[in-house]
Amino acid sequence: MKINVELRVRLKVADLVAQTAWMTLTEKLDFAGILQGIVRYSYWAMDADGTDGKSILDEIDRVVKLDGAFTNQNKHCYSLRGFMRPGAEMDSVRGDLILDRDFPVIAGKRGRSAGVFAWDLLIREKDGGREEGFSSRLNGRLSGVEVSAMKAGEVWRVICDSQDEKSAKRMVERMAVTRSRREGLLLNPHYQQYEFIGVTAVGGGKGSKA
Amino acid sequence: MARSFKGKVAIIQFPGVNCEYETADAVRAVGIEADLFRWNEDPVLLEETLAVILPGGFSYQDRIRAGVVAAKDHIMDKLSRIAAQGRPVLGICNGAQVLVESGFIPGIHWESVDLALAPNVMADRDGYYCDWVFLRNEDSRCVWTGAFARKEVVPVPIAHAEGRFVTGDSGILEQMKKNGQIALRYCTDRGGIDGGFPVNPNGSVENIAGVCNPDGNVLAMMPHPERASWLRQVPEDLPGSWGRKRNQASGKFERMEEPGPGRTFFSSLLSIAGHVREKSGGQGKEAGR
Repeated sequence: MKINVELRVRLKVADLVAQTAWMTLTEKLDFAGILQGIVRYSYWAMDADGTDGKSILDEIDRVVKLDGAFTNQNKHCYSLRGFMRPGAEMDSVRGDLILDRDFPVIAGKRGRSAGVFAWDLLIREKDGGREEGFSSRLNGRLSGVEVSAMKAGEVWRVICDSQDEKSAKRMVERMAVTRSRREGLLLNPHYQQYEFIGVTAVGGGKGSKA
Repeated sequence: MARSFKGKVAIIQFPGVNCEYETADAVRAVGIEADLFRWNEDPVLLEETLAVILPGGFSYQDRIRAGVVAAKDHIMDKLSRIAAQGRPVLGICNGAQVLVESGFIPGIHWESVDLALAPNVMADRDGYYCDWVFLRNEDSRCVWTGAFARKEVVPVPIAHAEGRFVTGDSGILEQMKKNGQIALRYCTDRGGIDGGFPVNPNGSVENIAGVCNPDGNVLAMMPHPERASWLRQVPEDLPGSWGRKRNQASGKFERMEEPGPGRTFFSSLLSIAGHVREKSGGQGKEAGR
């Protein structure tokens, strides 16, 4: 059977890159009071073929725990999730990162607008060169499971104060896509692409899968 | 007494750069004064600077993306005005990444980010790459290459992981070519253009190694000319005339102290120094064009 697998890894020690993004967005790009928090994950999503969903997850879990290209348990926490089909998550999350509770709000001005929304933005390189490498690395270590259609990149969870989900999305886009010296930070669209992969209402409003 | 950069080249020291001292030495070697300017000093100090250089290194530890955090710094407001006035600005390696992320380069639409310096694409390897490469001086209006002969081949070292000039807008590339903004291209030791590795060491589009703005006063280049400013810095086994010259100088201290191939980038400044001093005192173009 084939399932879709998503792996997210983040530092469990202080993430200085995320802190620098926070400071740059709030102090140099005028998003103070709007940006409430920011979290950065390494991200992999893939199709995985094996005997059954549970054994597929067990086997991928075994490999990603051991392989430093994915996690180093001294400094990382991770979440490994399986989906029978888009949106249909299996009831067997692996790892020590609880994504549904990972909304560290840094700023103190919560609730100025109607709600606080956390958008997950996936950033990948356009040529996708790294993805082939990760695929073959995993396939070389997995037993009885084969992965394909790998997506690898970085996910930024951008938490912002906004009237609604849609305007929060527009705000995140403005923070992320570098179009000029005064606009955008997280990606350069000349070699990177992005997609929104999820949203959660952290305070007020209702989130949904993008 | 207050510090003054009048008539000097200001080398901008962002946190994390590491080539500022040798860059200042390379400028001084051509007879122009140079001094370091810490990024959080008062920008007014740069009012009468002759030129500005953003040196190589890892500004802000390359966090998020090489050069992007420095590009958002307030000091860049001042550099934008200096560049728009026509004063020379050079970005070397990480400095080039800052200029690209600031939109000073290509500068067709001022401060619009129209290029990227993406991760290297190399045969059978990825990440950081360090080696001597050959550059060909192209027909351009660039003031920083003005002292080179037309199509002169210049050996200079590179050391980077993100140096691949790329744009998602093919119109920008055409415009750059039309404007004569491609100042330097990677080439063979005889000046031939070969897109493959290692002649093109990072997969840059059209072998681009350096791009100037339409006016030619701002140059972003990935290679390090300050690391090729003395003959002693050139490897003995380098193919071509510079390698032979270096080989012949072995053991002869005085000859080893002669200029290397990269020094010409800095001596190009000599020919315009008087002109720039005169212009900076008068009415410059406004920033934000």
